[in-house]
Amino acid sequence: MLRKRIIPCLLLKEEGLVKTVKFKQEKYIGDPINALKIFNEKEVDELVFLDISATERKEEPHYDLLSEIASECFMPLAYGGGIHKIEQISKILSLGFEKVVINTAAVDNPDLIKEAAQVFGSSTIVVSIDVKKNLFGKYQVYTKRGTYNTKLDPVKHAANVENLGAGEVMLNSIDRDGTMSGYDIALIAKVSNHVSIPIIASGGAGNLQHFYEALTLGKASAAAAGSFFVFHGKNRAVLINYPSEADFSQSQIF
Amino acid sequence: MIPYQVCNRCVMDTSEPEISFDENGNCNHCTAYLSNEHNLALQSDTSKKEDLNKLVERIKSSSRNSKYDCIIGVSGGVDSTYVAYLVKELGLNPLAVHLDNGWNSELAVSNIQKTLDNLGIDLYTYVIDWHEFRDIQLSFLKASVRDAEIPTDHAIISVLYQVAAKENLKYILSGANSATEGIYPVTWTYGIADLKYIKGIHSIFGSKKLKTFPSTSLSMKDYYILLKQIKTVPILDYIDFNKEKAMQIIQNELGWRYYGGKHYESIYTRFFQGYIMPVKFKIDKRRAHLSTLICSGQITKAEALEELKKEIYPAELYESDREFVLKKLKLSETDFAEIMKLPIKSYKDYPNSKNYFEFRKKVVPYLRKISLMH
Ligand SMILES: [Zn+2]
Repeated sequence: MLRKRIIPCLLLKEEGLVKTVKFKQEKYIGDPINALKIFNEKEVDELVFLDISATERKEEPHYDLLSEIASECFMPLAYGGGIHKIEQISKILSLGFEKVVINTAAVDNPDLIKEAAQVFGSSTIVVSIDVKKNLFGKYQVYTKRGTYNTKLDPVKHAANVENLGAGEVMLNSIDRDGTMSGYDIALIAKVSNHVSIPIIASGGAGNLQHFYEALTLGKASAAAAGSFFVFHGKNRAVLINYPSEADFSQSQIF
Repeated sequence: MIPYQVCNRCVMDTSEPEISFDENGNCNHCTAYLSNEHNLALQSDTSKKEDLNKLVERIKSSSRNSKYDCIIGVSGGVDSTYVAYLVKELGLNPLAVHLDNGWNSELAVSNIQKTLDNLGIDLYTYVIDWHEFRDIQLSFLKASVRDAEIPTDHAIISVLYQVAAKENLKYILSGANSATEGIYPVTWTYGIADLKYIKGIHSIFGSKKLKTFPSTSLSMKDYYILLKQIKTVPILDYIDFNKEKAMQIIQNELGWRYYGGKHYESIYTRFFQGYIMPVKFKIDKRRAHLSTLICSGQITKAEALEELKKEIYPAELYESDREFVLKKLKLSETDFAEIMKLPIKSYKDYPNSKNYFEFRKKVVPYLRKISLMH
């Protein structure tokens, strides 16, 4: 069996790192380059950087910063934020990123996924799906950093992007983001039962048990987290951390 | 030029411009250290133990209405880690405070994490906006003064005061101690409390507005000390603080790991102390630290001399740190070479409050008496 991946997901806002709760309440948590160096030395499996201001900014990704990030980093890197053109993907991959993460454009322009998968290979294309439950408990897909309700069903959307050629789906619960109260296991299981590409569970991790649940009950192939890796204790004090191999195996994650 | 001379008793030498030697060849630093009757590092263990017990009682009674008993700073280094350990041994419930200035090493964060997890201590972290702090650090490098670590030290103290005031705690227990760092020449660093100096240098060489840099003006300091009655206590002076033994204990009990030199838990600090200080300013800070250890009886002079023969900065670490530091500060090799070549300046060349500090030194004890009468 393939080793499950545990992935820190870091949010960029301009040139700083932030962490949100339910996609709101941005809290500044420091310099991305320094965070990266620490994660590097902790030998994390993979890192995801999402620029949460990129789509709104309607400008190009901060290529200079991305280049600095890629040159400092030893492990596989993924970048998401504001990607809507093939040329952008090509540029980001050329900087040294292994994967790109596409969210809004996967809804607005599905052909981009198809073309990108053909040009760069499915394994480089991750579609992130941000999901929120409505008042009646129905899951709906949001884009534009959680501000636009597409009314799409996450299972159908995931199946659709799989058909288009996406290599992975990063499934993010907006309701659980930053709460550290556990993943939305029902959502993760629902989607992973209907698609065969790997699902990266995201949103809500607060302890090692949560990872275990996402990977077993939720059948996710990987689990991503933000707060868990950047905060310490009940005061949510900024302190980058990553469990040791021993901690993971004790929790039966590896 | 003064001929080279090294102290007969310790390892301080003429790289300290104001050093003086007596007829036996002993320097003013170790002489002052050893003859200081207030030097707790030299007092008997029984009298210290009594003082410590009294201190713990005072701390406990000062915090009856608070969630915590006191504030401790944590950096991941030996001293602050040992303070955390000691404070818990003494039955106190501290709130740990950490300043993130953008230079934490992996070792620093994992040491902090292990320490706090193992001891069950809550943490508060203050993160300075990195772009702002880089602007300050660059200003100090361009100012060409020895005091490039002052902004960090000032920020740490400010955050400790802020949190103590907010949590309504009266005691900050610091890791500063006379057993391992009592000797430190004033000519080497100036300005930790001098906000006018820090802001002065930043306004001359910097470009960003200061919004998140934690600072303490003199009137704020008066507020903290006189009005809020916050006391900073060097708690390691109340025990027989031995660096080797302390390291053994925190390694065994907390899983703490060593990182090389003194304060090398911060990447910038080790680059500054390991490269810029010795190469540009011809100062090897190890001399002061080792001299203190000699005087407090923790090592012999021969051992100190052996230690000084070791490379101050392991070559491989130096190479990778240099690349990283320049990258983070956005300095090219040419920019940095120019900084290293700038003529050396001192605080006297910039705005500062030194004269006012001298005046206050005489006045504040009276102010304190007056405030205690109320
Ligand atoms: Zn001496």
